[in-house]
Amino acid sequence: MGNMKDMVARIPNLVDWSTGEVRLMSAKCNSCGTYFFPKEHYQHRPGCSREGVEDALLPNKGKLASYTIQHYPCPPPFKTERNITPYGIGLVEFEDEKIQVAGIITDTDLKSLKLGMEMETTTLTMFTNEEKQQVVTWAFRAVKQ
Amino acid sequence: MRDVYIIGTGIHPWEGFSEKVFADFAAVAVNGALKDADMEWKKIQSIMAGIFIYGGNAGHLAGQYLESIFGETGIPVVNVYNACATGSAAIRMAYNSVAAGETDTALAFGADVSPKGFLTAKSDNAVQDRDVIRWKMTAMPNPVYWALECRKRMAKYDTTEQDLAQVKVLMSEYGSKNPDARFKKAYTVDEVMNSVYVCEPLRLFEICPVSTGAAAVILTANKELISKADKPVKINATTMGSSMYGDPTIRISAVSCPAVPEAPMLSESYSASRQAYEKSGIGPQDVDVLELPDNSSWHYLVYLEVCGFCKEGEADKMLRDGETKIGGKLPVNPSGGFSSHGEALSAQAIWQVIECANQLRGRCAERQVENPKVAMAQTYGLMGNSGTTILSI
Repeated sequence: MGNMKDMVARIPNLVDWSTGEVRLMSAKCNSCGTYFFPKEHYQHRPGCSREGVEDALLPNKGKLASYTIQHYPCPPPFKTERNITPYGIGLVEFEDEKIQVAGIITDTDLKSLKLGMEMETTTLTMFTNEEKQQVVTWAFRAVKQ
Repeated sequence: MRDVYIIGTGIHPWEGFSEKVFADFAAVAVNGALKDADMEWKKIQSIMAGIFIYGGNAGHLAGQYLESIFGETGIPVVNVYNACATGSAAIRMAYNSVAAGETDTALAFGADVSPKGFLTAKSDNAVQDRDVIRWKMTAMPNPVYWALECRKRMAKYDTTEQDLAQVKVLMSEYGSKNPDARFKKAYTVDEVMNSVYVCEPLRLFEICPVSTGAAAVILTANKELISKADKPVKINATTMGSSMYGDPTIRISAVSCPAVPEAPMLSESYSASRQAYEKSGIGPQDVDVLELPDNSSWHYLVYLEVCGFCKEGEADKMLRDGETKIGGKLPVNPSGGFSSHGEALSAQAIWQVIECANQLRGRCAERQVENPKVAMAQTYGLMGNSGTTILSI
């Protein structure tokens, strides 16, 4: 994860590490109970009053609901300093929040991936910016047993 | 509502990247449709155009650009975009205009020139356009979404990698017999299984690329035009659907999805097809030939289920038993499908309807289904877009 003080998310308001744990920045509608990610991806239940939407951090850990291994480089605007291909993409389920979130799989042997395995949210450094900050995205890795 | 018939269809054959402009492709398709209908341009009373999103001002006003080629007559020209279901939207608007009696004869068309390389983000505003997030943060090209769903399917049912390959084998056999298809080589299971993984479990030959192509249909309620047309095809229903709350599918460009299903998967297509069944009084059991959106081998299987041609998890058996072959119980994609064509966004839904019409009119030569009376074209577009058209003769 590197030194968290020198990290900046490539797009703000998606991933938080201020609590010491890396967590996704979701929002919950207190009227229909739906969690959104990203926060602006409103997905209200039809008929919901849409009142009382508040920010909510997703838990750090979830379960792998699906995954793929991508074998060719993702085109721009995706950008990394080093070649990460082939890379894993996971769909991680946060059970209590009833939401699955997609993200790059990092720091994990791709051959060890199994549906249902426990994953934790982390960051992945994609490149370093002009201010020498590490520009990151959220990512998932297998929880070490 | 009045009965509406397709009296003319035209296609510019599918191909790869082109230096030519989209309007030239559109003109070829429209010219073909006019000739097929044996009618003059001046009888077209409205134009519903699929927007070509990579064409800038011209592409966003595709209908006006097309009209000026054939001669401007002051008629209503409407341009529409619904992702890969754009052509469905154009046909539906043309149908509604004619069925309601607003106009007697309407043209629907779409033309798309493949951008070089990959489809990618079209803006840089991540708050307004969530598509930016998936490209910059999750590195998920479209096939990744299909692979994630395919993996779930393989865990839930007994879908195998051989099944996925077999879809391509069938599609390539039919594509090799279709002069309008872009890919005309027939493959064996081994050849497909030996193609490289793009995103596991999907291989290179099991996903479709982007293509260039154009398609046009002329719809009418004009009795004189219907009577002189070569085998007019009745439109029994043409509908569009959007997603339903709680659909568990991860939609292309989203980075999350519900974990607990409260609606069918691919609910936009569930919705479009059920509307069409209800409006037409025709059910899946009545369909003699089906064109479905095989963006990947996974789509081929799941669409048989989403549209009610079998129960969930039974599509693999239909495939293995040969039910979906030409000559089987339900011939699927005798055109060779997207697998043999590639996606030409605004044109592909119209091309699917044309294949259905051609099958009903007995024009498909080597890939002709035996004597079909009812055909169905099903489309799929990202972020909750789908269209269903049911035709009969």
